Parts: sequence; C-alpha cells; structure tokens
Amino acid sequence: MGFSHAVGVVGVLMLAHAAYATIQYRSLLKITEEQFMGPPITVVVELVAGLFFCLWAALTVPGKFLLILPQSDENRVVALPFNLDFMIFNHRGKAFSLGIDMKIK
Amino acid sequence: MAVHDDSNGQKKKSSDALDEIPTFNVENMQNNTRIINYSRTFMSIIGGVIAGILGYTALTGFIFYFVIMAITTVGLAAKTGFAVHSFFDSWNQIVFDGILGGLLSFVLFWTFAYDMVHIF
Repeated sequence: MGFSHAVGVVGVLMLAHAAYATIQYRSLLKITEEQFMGPPITVVVELVAGLFFCLWAALTVPGKFLLILPQSDENRVVALPFNLDFMIFNHRGKAFSLGIDMKIK
Repeated sequence: MAVHDDSNGQKKKSSDALDEIPTFNVENMQNNTRIINYSRTFMSIIGGVIAGILGYTALTGFIFYFVIMAITTVGLAAKTGFAVHSFFDSWNQIVFDGILGGLLSFVLFWTFAYDMVHIF
C-alpha cells in the first residue's frame, strides 16, 4: 500500500519535472525566437513514463475489487447481528424454485 | 433501545427463469464502483496535466482525453483479470462510468497546466 502511494508520488514528481523542463525550453525558444512545435523528446519520454507510473498507482491505490456473486467463498456469512440467536447465511437455498402457489382464501 | 442489525442489502434482480434468481452483493458492488470513480478521476487529472504540458489545444486535447480514458478502461478490465462479470453488473459500468464527470476535472487541470507552462 505504501509502495503504490510512493509510485504515484514519483509519477507526479516526474510530471512536475517535465513541466519545469518545458518552461525552460520555452524560455530558450523565446531567446532564439523560434516557434513552439512541441516539447523536446526527453520531456515526452518523461511524460509517458510518468503517465504509466500514475496509471499503475491509480489502479492499485484505491483497493481491490470484491466479488459480487453471493456464492463465492468470501461472501458466506452475511450478517452476525448483536443477537446471536439469529444469523443470516448465504446458501444455495436461494436456487430452489418458488413453485409454491399461495392463495389467500 | 433498538438493536442495529447490520444487514447486507441483498438486491434481487428477477429474471425470466423461475429457478434462477441472480442476486448481487450490493456492498461489494458499491465498493467496486467507488474504486472505478477514484481511478478515473485521478487519471483525468493526470491526463489534464499532461495535455497542458504537451501544449495541446482545442480538439486534440479532447481526443487525448478519450485516449486516456480508453487506457484507463483497459487497465480496469485488466485489474478484474478480464472476468468482468464476477465484479460488475455489466460492461457499461466499467466502460462508461465516470467519463463525463472526469471530463470536467480534465479540462480544469488542462487549462491550469497550459497556463503555467506556456503563458506565464
């Protein structure tokens, strides 16, 4: 968890460094009075690397995906309320068809 | 004195077949949706900063945003191990959720970075 955070911070720092390098490149262009076509290739490489670091951090930092299927192993006990006389479990009884035709006479 | 029973809201989705009632664990679904939103928002901000540094203007920037979102979608699908239906309701969630909300953050940081790097 700390490692993912660190990777994210490193990615953001690389972006900040690339921004600073681009600012310096532009001031250099102002001196030589050329047009700004695009940042130098080193800055572009640094941006791509920073993008991948941040992408990795964006996918790992928020947490893992949890299974939503009720019959998976980690979804067994649904609730253990304060009163232990009543416990709610997830089991395959749900799969039985509701073929009961109930009428109130 | 009421005793709070922390019941996990089971959301039923009835299908046509009588003997198959697919239910989903809502709490985990919310957790997964929250993770997608965090990831997309962060990637929108990062994409905005990169678009500003690269000096993209107008249409190129918006196309760049959708490219970033496509990369994020592939990343999220890879995070599920490409078994999307174990974690989400449908493909729509993993592909479309949070795209328009992220667009606003993208434009904000895009203009911010562009101003910082190219104008001031």
